This record gives sequence, structure tokens and C-alpha cells, in this order.
Amino acid sequence: MTFKRTILLLIIIFTLTSFAIFIAPRMQEQAEITPPQTVYNDSKDNNNIIIPCPNEHPEWRAAQIIDDVNIDAAPSCEPDNPYDIATSVKGTNNVSMATLMQTNLAQDALTMTDDLDHDGDPDVVHIKLEVIELNGSTPDGDFLINTFDIAPGIQPGLWVYAPKSRGMALKNFNSVVANPMLRAPSPVIRVEQDDKVYITLENTHYLPHTIHLHGVDHPWLNSKGEDNDGMEEHAVFPGKSHTYEIKPRHAGTMLYHCHVQTAQHFMMGLAGMFIVEENRPNNWLQTFNIGAGQVRHPSATVKKTFSQEYDLHYQSVDKKLAKIIQDANDPRLVAEHMSRDYNMTESFENYFLLNGHSFPYTLRDAMIIASENEDIKLHIANLQRSAVAIHIHGHKATITALDGVDHPPAIQITRDVFDISPAQRIDLHLLTQNNGLNSYGPGLWMFHDHTPTGTTTDGLEPGGNMAILAYKELLDEQGMPKMHDEFFDQLFNKNYYAKNMAIWGEGEFAPLLADAGLLAPNYLQIILFGLTIGLIIGVLLLIILAYKRNQKQ
Amino acid sequence: MKALLLVLCLLGVNHFASAMNHSGMIMDEKGMIMNANSDKLPNDCKKISENIDITIHAGHKHALKFNGKMFAFDNQEWDVKPCAKINITFINDDQIRHQLMIHGLPGYLYPEGMFHLELNGEGQLQASLIMPSQKKTYLVHCELPQHMEKGMKAQLKVDGGDGDLPSIPGLTAPVRADFYFVDWTQLSLSVLVFSALLGCTISFFIILNRTRIKDLFTKYLIRSTQKGG
Repeated sequence: MTFKRTILLLIIIFTLTSFAIFIAPRMQEQAEITPPQTVYNDSKDNNNIIIPCPNEHPEWRAAQIIDDVNIDAAPSCEPDNPYDIATSVKGTNNVSMATLMQTNLAQDALTMTDDLDHDGDPDVVHIKLEVIELNGSTPDGDFLINTFDIAPGIQPGLWVYAPKSRGMALKNFNSVVANPMLRAPSPVIRVEQDDKVYITLENTHYLPHTIHLHGVDHPWLNSKGEDNDGMEEHAVFPGKSHTYEIKPRHAGTMLYHCHVQTAQHFMMGLAGMFIVEENRPNNWLQTFNIGAGQVRHPSATVKKTFSQEYDLHYQSVDKKLAKIIQDANDPRLVAEHMSRDYNMTESFENYFLLNGHSFPYTLRDAMIIASENEDIKLHIANLQRSAVAIHIHGHKATITALDGVDHPPAIQITRDVFDISPAQRIDLHLLTQNNGLNSYGPGLWMFHDHTPTGTTTDGLEPGGNMAILAYKELLDEQGMPKMHDEFFDQLFNKNYYAKNMAIWGEGEFAPLLADAGLLAPNYLQIILFGLTIGLIIGVLLLIILAYKRNQKQ
Repeated sequence: MKALLLVLCLLGVNHFASAMNHSGMIMDEKGMIMNANSDKLPNDCKKISENIDITIHAGHKHALKFNGKMFAFDNQEWDVKPCAKINITFINDDQIRHQLMIHGLPGYLYPEGMFHLELNGEGQLQASLIMPSQKKTYLVHCELPQHMEKGMKAQLKVDGGDGDLPSIPGLTAPVRADFYFVDWTQLSLSVLVFSALLGCTISFFIILNRTRIKDLFTKYLIRSTQKGG
């Protein structure tokens, strides 16, 4: 082959290559005159649709008396188990066996004895807590176990403290769902001022943990001279137990949390509200408020001023941290990935929970349900990583205490956004009097953290810690807000929170706002590109063959 | 007489409060036993074939012999004859709650197909059960969240069982195994490179000596056909 012919062939190859690059079909193309058609949400896919209210225990909603314990009505979709409440008030040792059998509590979960000050209520309280992993991994297959959905289809790995339980941790024998007592958040614990309280951490988990009583009056050492502050260097290892002892002299809304690898363990959910109630005669307290929310057996002090009481626990989850326990099963790998590979300073909060749920599941058990002219006590704790700015639509409430310390009436502030730093607590007096200041009248008033991320679930609205202050007459017989059927059809769907559905994919505006479809392919362009590529390969082969023949000659 | 009756009533009430038998469940402050069965024969058994005593320890220290586990029983497998009566002594060596559950039993004897011992903390429980005659492998585990997943899993075989369950520490492989880094050293790398070079040399050797190899091969073929003939 002559030099001239080689140059010519090379020029041909360069030209063809440039042409091929110029006309190459791409993954995305610009539409010309007609953009693609609208694609609608697949309405036939029923597998991911969830019933807004499962209505499993309608009989739990009514006001009732169990074992002489008065339990207030709870009209919401998922009311607390009244037998849990009766047992939480009287203790597992004083309640009848028939009542205890209706709960999942162990027989030594809560023992209450000795009326030391002779005022008609027990003053020595033994509380036993376990550490439970929700949505954890299993070596037996590609599924999660002891599942707890925070929102439709959303199952982040979580750790919670739970009252010591008994029996199956799963809902039933064919299920991977956790039983209803094993849930986020860690339970609210109530004890009486001056009571002798023994809190035993029985570490049922596979990593070390502690209990630190934040803001609760406690000596630094217990009566055995051992750690009583729950610090990292006194971790309670798997299979071990440790008892913390307190006799709190000061009442108020406080916290408890794990202080081992605190940043991570706190964010995994090992934190809860710890409320010390004033010492009053005949003051039998609801020691556990499982799942937080409405207190169906308020204390004597609360009952004097308020018609209702609610515990609101705000919590956030970093999905990358939560996934660590789902990606590996070996405790050594979990420990390494969580403490050394994971870097919280380079992380985000993705899920925002109120009482363990994100909207729309907050509608099932995290609503405040009111009538007009009620005085309602709210305990709000910020157990998430960032600050919250809680806003109740249509209402202005009054701060009565900060971090468990009462505010003198003269400086109590009434406002509509409450900024709460991480670990801070506020007590609010919510008055539902339609006077144009405290309330604008009955409604289904939303309340939420006004930080923009707070109302999203992994960035998707509406989600996060959004909930509703609902006036009773606007709820249906299952405790769900009326007039929201279409909205519920869209949101109670796993596909929506998997981000597979257009936000406005149904109804009148669907043709305008649902998903854009795909562009039709340009066949001329595809054929030209194919021919060009073929030519290039042919020419290259020719050169190689010619070169070889030249060499032989 | 009245006093005696009163005392008997009180004793009865006391007994009622401390331990209660509630649809196959016996519970006290120490723990509970569900669906124990020491006398009812399964339908397919004419008599008890053997009487076996098994002691099962549970606790985190029993996981020490397995890499990457946290809780375990002291034994992972038992084999019994069809229609055997098993007297289990379940000992919890931890300060926390552990369970011993056996699943897949006949529902007419064991509601939900389950035999269940539970200890609230350190201590021991004793209960018996009678196995059916079927050749079968039963799951034995603690059902607290992550306890089975982290190693508290075993199997009870009747008549050799009908197979093995997955993820039993030290016995069977998990369905979904974790990934680990491989320990690459200078030695293992040099072995790799040497093998690759050797492979190349062999192929060059074959190509360069192809005619001689062909001759040798043909000779061998002829010889073998002659032998065969």
C-alpha cells in the first residue's frame, strides 16, 4: 500500500468518525414541535395501596375502667391498648393476670410497691427496659425483620428502648412485622417526684448501650457505688443488665437516652421523654406511654388544670446511618461501619418523625383531638438532630415550662412558632377558645415543624412530622379526618413515597402536571449512524489486511 | 371448718396470682412455658419411643465459638427418634430475656404449632414435649429481635430430619452472606502474576511446537486404535 493511499484512508476514517459523533443518537434528545405525551399514574396497581385506617381495635377507643384504672377516651384511628395503660398505672405486680395477659409486658416489667409517704400511691418503682432493633437485617434472606413502617413502605433501621416484654416479638407467627409494643419512639416514662425509682437496662441488643437521665435529678453513683450517669465508659454489654437509681426532687419534662457512641445511637432512636410529675396524694401515674401521644390516664396535677394531655416526641433519621444495620448482619461489621466508616459530619437528616410516624401515618396516632374551650397540656421534646420550629395552624399557645422548669406566669409567652433546640423540651398550654387569639375556631388544623425539611419524607412532600390538631366533629367514626378521601387515595400508597407517582398525577390537572412520556425515536438519524459506524469498521479491516499482505510480500 | 375453707380459698387466690395457666400458658415472674406436653401422644404415635433429657444453655457467651455472632445456644442440633419424648431443661446464662421456641409442631397438640419456653433473666425452666413420627427438621430459636439473626438458631431433627435449615451457626451457610475484604499480601499477588506468566508460556510453547505436538498426537491415536482393534 502506498503512502498516499494510507493518508487518504486515514482522512476517510477521521471524517466518518466526526460525522458519527455528530449524528450519534443520545439518551436524551430535544423535542421538536411536539413534546411527548403525558403518562398517567398506573391506577391498576393495587398492591401498594394501604388502607388509611386499619381499624384493628375499635373497642380500645372508648373511655373505660380496667382494674379500677380510669382510662380516657381516645378517638384516634390507632388508640393505645387500654390494658397496657392499666398495667402501666398499677404495675405488672398489682394488675390482674387477665389484664396482664392482654398486654405483651413481662411479669417483671414494672413493679410498684411501698407507699413510703402514706399518701395512697406506691413510691418504690422498678422499671425494666430492653433494647429492640426494628427493621433489622437477617441472614435468612433478602428481607427485613421486626418491621415498623414509619410511612407507607418506608422502613429505616431503628433502635428503641421498650418496656420488658414477653412472647413473640413479631405480630404473629407468619409475619415479619414487629408486635405493636415494639415501635418508635422509645416510650415516654412517667414517675412521681420523691419516688424511689430503679431503672434496669437489660441489654437485649448486640451492641453496648446505657441510659443517661438527661435533666432528671440523679446521683452520680448508685447505691452500689457503680455508674449512675450512663456514661460511655460504663457501657452495658450485650446480655448484661445494669440498674440506675433515682429519687428525683424536681418535677418536669426531661429525657433519657443512650450515651454510648452517642451521636449515632441517639440518631438510631435510643432517646425518649422522661417526665417527673409532682408528688400528690393518690397519684397513680401512667408509667409508660407507649408510642407517646395522648396520655389516657393523666396525673393529679395535670387533671386539676387540663382536660387532656399529649406527649409529642420529634425525631429524625439519617437514611444512610439507618441502613448500616440492614446491610450487614455481623455485629463486628455493624460496629465498624457505624462508628468508623460512617461520618455524621458529612450526613443529612432524611426522615422526620412525630411519635414514631411520618405523615400520613401521623394521622393514625399522632393527632391532637380537641373540642372547643378545652385546656390541653402538651409536652414537646426535640429529639432530632436539628432545631425545630413548631407551628400550630389557627392557634397561639402559651409556654408554661422550658426544659422541665416552670415559667412564672408573668413571663409566660404566647406565640405561634416555638423554636426548640436539640434535646430541649417545652410545656405548652393550648387553649381551644375561639377568641381570635388562642384559636380561630374549629378545623382540621395542621401542626408541624416549620423548618422546610421537617415536612418531607426523604425530601418528598407531604411527609415528615406533619400532623393535625383536629376538632372532634370533623373526624369520622374511625378517628380519621373527614373530607380528605382523594388525598388519602394518593398518599396511602407505597408507590407515592417510593417517588414513582406524579404528585399531581390524578384529577383535572393530570394531563398538565403528570409525568411527561418518552420522545419517539428518530429513525433516519439511527440508520445514518449505523451506516457510518459500519463503514469505519470496514475501512479499518481493509487497512489491516492490506498491511499484512504488504508484509508477506 | 370455715376457717379451713377460708385458708384454702386464700391459698387458691395466691396461687392464681403467682402463676396462671392460661390456654396452654404457664407464667410467673421467672418466665413462661407455652404448650408443654408430657402425656398427649401425637395421632401418628402408638407409644413413646424414647425418653430423652436435653439441657440447652442460652447466652451471649455461647456465641464466642462462632465468628460474627452475638447470641447462641450451647448446641445447634439434636436428633431424636420418631415419637420421642423430650424433657428440656432450658438454662439462661444471660441477665436478659431469652426464649426457646420450637416451630412446625402439629397444631392439634401445640396451638400455632409452637412450643415455647421463656426466661425473664438468669435461671432455668423445665418442660417436656412429644414429637410426632414424621421425618422432619424443626426450627429451634429465640425470637427476640435480632437474637436468631445474630446466632440463636438451632435445629431439632426427628429420624434424621428432612434437610438442614440455613444460617445455623457453625452448621449451615446463610442465604444472604455478608461481604468481607480479602487479605491480599505480596505473596498472594506474586503467585497470581507467576500463574499468569506460566499460562502465557504454555500457550506460546504449544503454538511454537504445534507440528511436533500434532505428530505425537497422531502416533498416540494410531497406537490406541491398533490396541483397540
